[in-house]
Amino acid sequence: MKLCHAPLSPFVRKVRIAAMELGLNDRIELVPITSSPVAMNPELAKINPLGKLPALVTDDGDLLFDSAVIVEYLDALAGGGKLIPAKGADRWRVKRTEALCDGLCDAAVLMRYEVAMRPAEMQWPEWIAGQKQKVTQSLDALEGQAWLFDDKIEIGKIAAACALGYLDVRFADLGWRKRCETLARWYEAFAKRPSVDATKPPPS
Amino acid sequence: MRLKLHWAPTSPYVRKVMVAAHELGLADRLDLIRTTPANVVADVAAENPLGQIPTLVLPDGTAIFDSLVIVEYLNALAGGGLVPDAGPRRWQTLTLHALGHGVIDAANRRVTELRRPPAEISRRLLDMKHAEIGRALDAIEHAPPETGRVDVATIAIAVGLGYLDYRFEQEPWRDGRPALAGWYAAFASRPSMGATMPTA
Repeated sequence: MKLCHAPLSPFVRKVRIAAMELGLNDRIELVPITSSPVAMNPELAKINPLGKLPALVTDDGDLLFDSAVIVEYLDALAGGGKLIPAKGADRWRVKRTEALCDGLCDAAVLMRYEVAMRPAEMQWPEWIAGQKQKVTQSLDALEGQAWLFDDKIEIGKIAAACALGYLDVRFADLGWRKRCETLARWYEAFAKRPSVDATKPPPS
Repeated sequence: MRLKLHWAPTSPYVRKVMVAAHELGLADRLDLIRTTPANVVADVAAENPLGQIPTLVLPDGTAIFDSLVIVEYLNALAGGGLVPDAGPRRWQTLTLHALGHGVIDAANRRVTELRRPPAEISRRLLDMKHAEIGRALDAIEHAPPETGRVDVATIAIAVGLGYLDYRFEQEPWRDGRPALAGWYAAFASRPSMGATMPTA
């Protein structure tokens, strides 16, 4: 399989951690993609017309995106029900948590683009504040969740780790650990998993 | 069982869920709680910290989001066929859904950008999102879904096209895309689409 990737993308990282946890890492070839929100990579556009990472080309030649779909595919390939419970209340909690953490990343990425991609006079403080509120409310919702501390590995926890790792790289000054001490304790332990450690984003 | 849905009449994300609910015969089980762009974060925060609609709330208070997860939940509840259970058909359907959802996201990003104070509107961003939509529609034109196919992917594509017509009425997305235009005309005549037309 070929996975289009970039080292700083939290969504790519989610897929890579999932692959490692599922024992599928050695079946995946990484295809580095140089792209920016304003300069479309033509190779990526052939796989995902939206130009978004990650995108996967399976051994059967199927083109798959977005990250949640790729994770489901890998989970099924590994037998199913490994990172995503197949049904019942647990499934919806895990899928909701993944959506929450992906949404947190989306908001953080929008904050980042606002500052990095626009001249100062075109930045909109209310917009940045709105995205920041989504980030902090999502962090607050994760804080104190008991299931974080059980010993199961599932995609909600992986997505949470990717979101927190992204905040550390891009928004170190946000100080989320002070706000969410329990979450910080969980992350410190979870980040020691080989899959999480091996996919740590390089300093930006 | 009654279900609560945080809802607004013009949100394409909400419409995706509503079309699915109509197709599954579940629409009359939903209690719609109306919100507005100005109030959505406050209205929804207790149940969805992202402050986004749609958010579904079960009788025991459990929240379900985002829109795809809600459709999957409703589909499981109704034993429907909007999301294939397994196999290549599932991955292909979910990827095509992501493409349709991407059209909605890009169109929505343009709408949001155009709400900024005029001096702060980025032409570059508008052009980029316009191009993204164009590439996605070209890809669908190249391999359009078969007529009569109703699932989460075709619903997302139809809602995306409906949203383009609603927000960017003058833009000729149909030009040069006859297969997509024909497919959409047929899909848009479904009662589920008629019952969920965006209204200001």
